[in-house]
Amino acid sequence: MKCISCGGEIGLTDERCPHCGRIIKETAGHRNELKTYREKNETAKRGLAKVMDGNVPLVISAVVMVALIIACGIALYVGENAYHFRSDAMRKDAKKNYDAYSREIRDYLDAGDYTGFAAFKEAHNIAEWEAPYDDLDLLWEMAKEYDWLVSEVESSVMFGRDAQRYRPEGDVADCGRAIRRFYEEYEDKRSEIDGDPYASYIHDMKAKADILLKVYLGLDDAARETFLAASDIEQEAYLEEVLIDEKE
Amino acid sequence: MKKNKKVIFGVSVAVNILLALVLLVAAVKAGAELKFNYVEIDTITPDTLRSNLERENYGVVASLSRPIRGGAEIAEGDLDYYRLGEYADLLFMKEIYAEAGNAVTVQSCEDRLAEIRAEMPDYGSLFDKIDLSAENAKRE
Repeated sequence: MKCISCGGEIGLTDERCPHCGRIIKETAGHRNELKTYREKNETAKRGLAKVMDGNVPLVISAVVMVALIIACGIALYVGENAYHFRSDAMRKDAKKNYDAYSREIRDYLDAGDYTGFAAFKEAHNIAEWEAPYDDLDLLWEMAKEYDWLVSEVESSVMFGRDAQRYRPEGDVADCGRAIRRFYEEYEDKRSEIDGDPYASYIHDMKAKADILLKVYLGLDDAARETFLAASDIEQEAYLEEVLIDEKE
Repeated sequence: MKKNKKVIFGVSVAVNILLALVLLVAAVKAGAELKFNYVEIDTITPDTLRSNLERENYGVVASLSRPIRGGAEIAEGDLDYYRLGEYADLLFMKEIYAEAGNAVTVQSCEDRLAEIRAEMPDYGSLFDKIDLSAENAKRE
């Protein structure tokens, strides 16, 4: 736009010509509209700011609520899955402490304490299915059965004079199952055992199981063979006699 | 409108307080769960041990206490029950080691048995009962 007085370039919002100083009346209407618009705009901004200010506590509260819901969710998830987290951590610890744990395992095995070995393995969450403990796989399989056998016989024969046994008939059945299971596993895995790095310990475990049956159930070598060849019913009849009738 | 906002804000603050309490409880619980060892979480075992001790089922106590022999951490309040079980278990196993000719193991069993007895002088009569039960358990 050009000034009608001097022909110089003027802006739409200029009140005076920047070249000749003439008061520009032609754009007065436009300037007024612009002023009104700006005022309205300012008013709207102030209104919006006021509304926003009023909502700040609500927004903060909502943000806190969302954060709390997320935190609660995480805490509940961790609580529910703590067993797995802890198990994983223990398994990693067991890997880290491989040398020390291996020495301890060797001590249990050299002492012939296979129930102690089983307890140690369980307490330290040693994963026999993965390196570096995977060579213990078969030994652990047999130790588990041996541990069960010892536990069942121990629970069935060792009690005080005034004992109130919960379920002697159940003990007989459990004892029979544990005995059958251990000897069946030993026979089934015989060829694997012979090639296992811990074969001597597994054979010793079997020898100790034989002693257990002899000392606490009165089954010497010949009687044990007869017992193992007998049917489940015959076995339980024998155990009933030893574990219930004789004890009473 | 303003009144509604105040009500909404009040409700949200109340909900937040509730959530904060839930978070506190959940965090404490999660912390405790993360610190467990497998014996402590098995809350049934100490009760079962106690009950079987009262019923003089020493073999059951012995087998349930075996984790202590593997080095499991035991809650302080349950330690006595586990030690009594350890005593019974060692007494039971000692006969097998003796018969197998594991002299060193028999000796370490005897040392530990004496140690447990010395550590728990209040349980003298119970130890005697366990000794007798181990003796009677033999059938040879």
